[in-house]
Amino acid sequence: MIEINNLVKRYGDIKAVNGISFTVNDGEVLGFLGPNGAGKSTTMNIITGYLSSTSGSVKVNGHDILEEPEEAKKCIGYLPEQPPLYFDMTVLEYLNFICDLKKVPKKDRKEQLASILSMIKLVDMADRLIGNLSKGYKQRVGIAQALVGNPDILILDEPTVGLDPNQILEIRKLIRKLADNHTVILSSHILSEIQAVCDRVVIINQGKVAAIDTITDLSSRLSGSTKLSLSFKGPVKEVVNKLKSIPGVNNVVSVVSNDDVAIHQVEITADSSVKNDVRSSVFYAMSKGGWPMLEFRSMDPSLEEIFLSITSA
Amino acid sequence: MSAVYKRELASYFRSPVGYIALALFSFLSGFVFINQYGDGSVNISSEIMSLCSFFVVIIPVITMGLFSEDKKRGTEVLFYTNPVSMFEVVLGKFFAALTLIGILFLNVILHMIITAASGGVVNIGSWGSVIVYFCLAILFTSIGILASALTDTQIISAIVSFVTILVIQLLQTISTIASSAFASLLSSSVLELEPEKVNKASTNLAAAIAWLSPFSKTQDFRYGVFSIAPLVFCISMALVFLFLTYRILEKKRWSQN
Repeated sequence: MIEINNLVKRYGDIKAVNGISFTVNDGEVLGFLGPNGAGKSTTMNIITGYLSSTSGSVKVNGHDILEEPEEAKKCIGYLPEQPPLYFDMTVLEYLNFICDLKKVPKKDRKEQLASILSMIKLVDMADRLIGNLSKGYKQRVGIAQALVGNPDILILDEPTVGLDPNQILEIRKLIRKLADNHTVILSSHILSEIQAVCDRVVIINQGKVAAIDTITDLSSRLSGSTKLSLSFKGPVKEVVNKLKSIPGVNNVVSVVSNDDVAIHQVEITADSSVKNDVRSSVFYAMSKGGWPMLEFRSMDPSLEEIFLSITSA
Repeated sequence: MSAVYKRELASYFRSPVGYIALALFSFLSGFVFINQYGDGSVNISSEIMSLCSFFVVIIPVITMGLFSEDKKRGTEVLFYTNPVSMFEVVLGKFFAALTLIGILFLNVILHMIITAASGGVVNIGSWGSVIVYFCLAILFTSIGILASALTDTQIISAIVSFVTILVIQLLQTISTIASSAFASLLSSSVLELEPEKVNKASTNLAAAIAWLSPFSKTQDFRYGVFSIAPLVFCISMALVFLFLTYRILEKKRWSQN
């Protein structure tokens, strides 16, 4: 568990981090989200002990990072934005060096490294020089480095930056696998990534926490109404009027029209309440009119929209 | 400490640095030795003393990458975020560099063996010179490490340590120049001082500057005359530089700009 309390980091007159507080629970995957320069990396650097805070405290599993640094650092595996790799070492030499640094007992070492290498799929690369690996593999070595010493908490700073889409998917899969027995803090400005992996999101903007919540709660909090998209075959004016007459529907806007084949798409804005779900009414109305529905889906605001609305406000 | 020590020492021989230093030193020491051997009078002390004056080139090469390369590659994060203390890291790197300098010294050991085997003189003065070699190595390596912690460019670090070591080597010359300059300043007509006082002041200045020189402090060792003061001087200066290195690295954590 990580408790972050009123963290401030000042650079000259600029407050890079300005009073951030939140708690990361055991076993949780927390997304750390914010535009460039919001203070994500600074906060992570403070949590890991790389930087010190101007004021405020960070407690890792009950150990204050400044007062008991060794205890606190033992609980954390950290992958910074730029993986800290020695290009002149082979993967295995490097991981052995990290074992030395983290004081992993000699007898556990072989077993632990073998399990890490197989989990990260680095077994074939174990004897290659890190400098000769591709970017994706280097990133994996970086993650492997964070896993050495079995820390409870993993802090990953933009782990998929600069990777190709295939590698991104693999790293994400890996993170989800790691989440089974680790607490993970993951920073990113790629929203789909956070959406795919995280239980909870902390959005920070200009050094302050803008929102902390689960993604579903965030989206419902943002919008008092739901949006539905409907494609159908039929006369557009008649349908729109019909839909507007359904109680609970606030507005219907035609988005795409193709008169030749009489296929149209409309967006319906309706009250969002469980009691009065307009979706079945829409269905019956269309069915009664004899207009076939081609596509019908709800348009929940994506994390992207939530993010934009929070950070630009 | 041992983790960093092992890595650094091995990395000297993964990169050209270790081999370059070894080749350079073997060439220089071999050259000096062969010349003496050809003349039929080998003097190990004077060989070691000339090798010590090559420290000005060799030590910057050995120490330039120790911290600057970590800063540039971003690997310094490992030292800050893992359960090691920064002073251990500094010591690990220091001893790795010192070990390499020790490995270079095997050349001289070889020359000593050859000299002794062919009936030459390897006496207490030779061993005194060995002590001087390592004292100076400790002092200069700590300067080199400090220089490499100051910057993230190897070349700048090398230049800083080169210049510093050069100045230390030239301290005795500098003291003479400085004292005569001081004397001529004092004896200029404006001040109208007695020549005796001028003389005394400039001699004192020369002595003060020369006092700083580790070379003049240890010059009797080669004749087998030992004292503890020069050793204390070199080692305590080295500790000061290592401590400064540690503070500079720690400062990064606390820096507010």
